Amino acid sequence: MKARAVKGLDPDGTLADNLERIVATRLDELCSFVPRVLDPERVKALHDMRIAAKRLRYILEVGAEPCFGPYAATAIKRTKDLQDLLGELHDCDVQLPRVRGLQDELRAADALEARARAGDAPDLDPTLASGTPHAPAWRGLETLCIYVQARRGLLFERFLEMWRELEREGFRARLEYAITERPETPTPLSPSENGDQPSAAIASPAQSDG
Amino acid sequence: MARARDIPGLHAQLSYREAAASTVAVRAQELFDHAEGVLDTSEIERVHDMRVATRRLRAVLEIYEPCFSRKALRDVLVDVKALADALGERRDPDVHLAQLEEFATAVKEADQPGVEVFAERVRAEQGAGNEVLSAALVRIQETDLRGRLGALAASASPEHDPRRSFGLRRPQDRPPEVIS
Repeated sequence: MKARAVKGLDPDGTLADNLERIVATRLDELCSFVPRVLDPERVKALHDMRIAAKRLRYILEVGAEPCFGPYAATAIKRTKDLQDLLGELHDCDVQLPRVRGLQDELRAADALEARARAGDAPDLDPTLASGTPHAPAWRGLETLCIYVQARRGLLFERFLEMWRELEREGFRARLEYAITERPETPTPLSPSENGDQPSAAIASPAQSDG
Repeated sequence: MARARDIPGLHAQLSYREAAASTVAVRAQELFDHAEGVLDTSEIERVHDMRVATRRLRAVLEIYEPCFSRKALRDVLVDVKALADALGERRDPDVHLAQLEEFATAVKEADQPGVEVFAERVRAEQGAGNEVLSAALVRIQETDLRGRLGALAASASPEHDPRRSFGLRRPQDRPPEVIS
């Protein structure tokens, strides 16, 4: 999935102002997959949402602490959790057809073997279809298919719950707000009345990062 | 997974160009720091860490795109992407194999031959992935990706362009001194 272009970036501007634009675009991109991804059949949209989460996370890793308000750091964890869960879902989506493909392949090979065993017979004796070379593998492959399919269903339910939780928490609105906040500029070297600790406080309204 | 390294000196009012120079330098260093031992299939986290490092590097190259010459950036990005793809060729089977091993130990004995048939296939992919990765590692050395990344990072710095700085830094680009 190609990333959406970010408009108005200025190499001569400040880091925070430029990253704010990029995060805003990437956040919008991430959220744009809803409601499509609420349908478990939308495999590609779920995969693309994972890529969007990854892009957002890596930008936040660079800019959250030096440039934005406290919720931006929390958002790194939220996007990582989202990315990880969508990644596990994607693994199931990749693995299931591969296991089924292998089953098809082995079934075809065993059918050829059963046919060869029949030789010139006018019809196939059912006993020739049992004990084929790959028969010992059938059960395990089928168990694996069932496992991956069931796990996929479970992970999708977890994804729905995670997204609902992000909405309840106000993930989007809080991150949109956090990227407009700026940490206080480090204090210039100058005599001070009460000591010399650089301030690490946030200039903008305090906001819980939980 | 390795945590992303902090970028020293990064702050909100830093110029985008200076941030580009220091961020790309740190992320490039991270990439090469994770290169050791990645072909060892018994230590699969090494490939994972290097792969994540390529993703982080790619991400910052894209974040700071306007600070670089288009051609220099494209040349480097193509190679970083090729390296990331090669790492993926190894990482995907690594992960699947680890999952299959865990699965095989949990299921009944009668299920194990089938799991093993699938695992055999994934093991072959892991071997092939390692060859792809080995070739990619040779290529980044031959094409001096490290040197090109260093040059690219330096090129973003305001001092790099004589039209901009004449050896002087603009006051707004100067990082504020901090009382320690």
